[in-house]
Amino acid sequence: MTTGSFLYPMLEDGERDPAALLADLARSAEAKAVESAQLRSTTLADRAQDLSRVAAAMASAISAGGRLFTFGNGGSATDAAGLAALFASPAAGRAVPARSLVADTAVLTALANDVGVEVVFARQLMAHARAGDIAVGLSTSGGSANVLRAFAEGRRRGMLTVGLAGYSGGAMATCPDLDYCLAVDGQSVHRTQEAQSALAYALWELVQDLLGKLTRLESEENR
Amino acid sequence: MTVAAAPDLDPATGFPAGLAEDLAAASLLLARRLHAGGTLWCASPAWPHHAQHVAVEFVHPVIVGKPALAAVALAAHQLTPTARANMSPGDVLIAIGPAGDPGVLDLVRRAPAWGVAALWVGSGDRPPAGSADHVLWLPDDDMAPHDGRFILLYHLLWELAHVCLEHRGVLEPEPDCDGPVCITCSDEGRLAEVVSASGPTAQVRIDGVLEEADLALVGEVGVHDLLVVHAGMAITRLDATAGGTRP
Repeated sequence: MTTGSFLYPMLEDGERDPAALLADLARSAEAKAVESAQLRSTTLADRAQDLSRVAAAMASAISAGGRLFTFGNGGSATDAAGLAALFASPAAGRAVPARSLVADTAVLTALANDVGVEVVFARQLMAHARAGDIAVGLSTSGGSANVLRAFAEGRRRGMLTVGLAGYSGGAMATCPDLDYCLAVDGQSVHRTQEAQSALAYALWELVQDLLGKLTRLESEENR
Repeated sequence: MTVAAAPDLDPATGFPAGLAEDLAAASLLLARRLHAGGTLWCASPAWPHHAQHVAVEFVHPVIVGKPALAAVALAAHQLTPTARANMSPGDVLIAIGPAGDPGVLDLVRRAPAWGVAALWVGSGDRPPAGSADHVLWLPDDDMAPHDGRFILLYHLLWELAHVCLEHRGVLEPEPDCDGPVCITCSDEGRLAEVVSASGPTAQVRIDGVLEEADLALVGEVGVHDLLVVHAGMAITRLDATAGGTRP
């Protein structure tokens, strides 16, 4: 029986010299980077049509005064915050009213403590959202209950609802409250999150592009 | 219009030469320090969500069965004072931000005085060599912070650190002398942060340890000033506004 790991067979448990491990780790990093690059690029290619549709719907909602609300849990919470920041304060391009519903710890803990974690996003939409606003929820599993609940609330309030999910969409793929579901078909949570981020960035780029075109169109009409 | 020469990236990984090796070495350092009881402090003034993503990855892994590890995201507000008050010798800092980020620069240049190892993740122009213990850098590119590639870099740190943690034999503390010049026994100056000053001497922190330093050569100093100290004598005062240079 071997005591070394399956992935790193050169290393027995008693091995003290890190040189062999470091070499294996570097090759492993490269293999994972290749997987990540492939999943990001196939996801963008496979979802190109969906991305265009979502971007068109978002750009027209934003042009009509719609605001973007993003949400998710754990790593997806941080990605939701990143997406909101990208829309609201891009390095270049048009700033759009956008914020994440994970930013305020007072609101989050009040809701989680007083009611339950399943309402932390839905309740905030009740307070803020109006018809024509946009809800973008992220869930690597596609099944986060509080994210699904927020989509239901968003739908009730006439928001455009968009889901970003892994695992071919999970529960989001068949969620009746979603206008669009952008899904990654990944097996690893980490690679999936990376591809979700690539999708989110592509979405931002497309929306920026469309907003630019809409603005030019309006200025021509007003001439 | 001229197009800048494409950086030398591996077409399959998207990595510049040496990045995989840097990630491996950084992961081993991180695993050793976490194994010894250190904490990973995550800071990103430019993109606070990245700091939070790193911390949640380590504290509450998405892969069931992996142990929870001590990691904390630092808020961008009052970053350096919060870090100084909380970090202990043996901890690790991961800073995420561009080369010119003043908040990151201030942390990575003070880290050696606190006994904290610094990893710096970023893209675009690379910080000067030696700015941090490991610089994990993607070349000129505005999109890397947003399109999943920064997330890939810190996911890899997490994944590789866990592999190291499963190989107990390599987790022994870092050797004191691991190169031709040993910081503790050579005549190099060492980075010191002033803790308190009174008259001709100051109490300073060097590699996380409090020491006395003679101020005869540098004159009056203020609390939190950075000095280079050699054999108990402060020999240079570092400019507070200088880049991320270390002695």
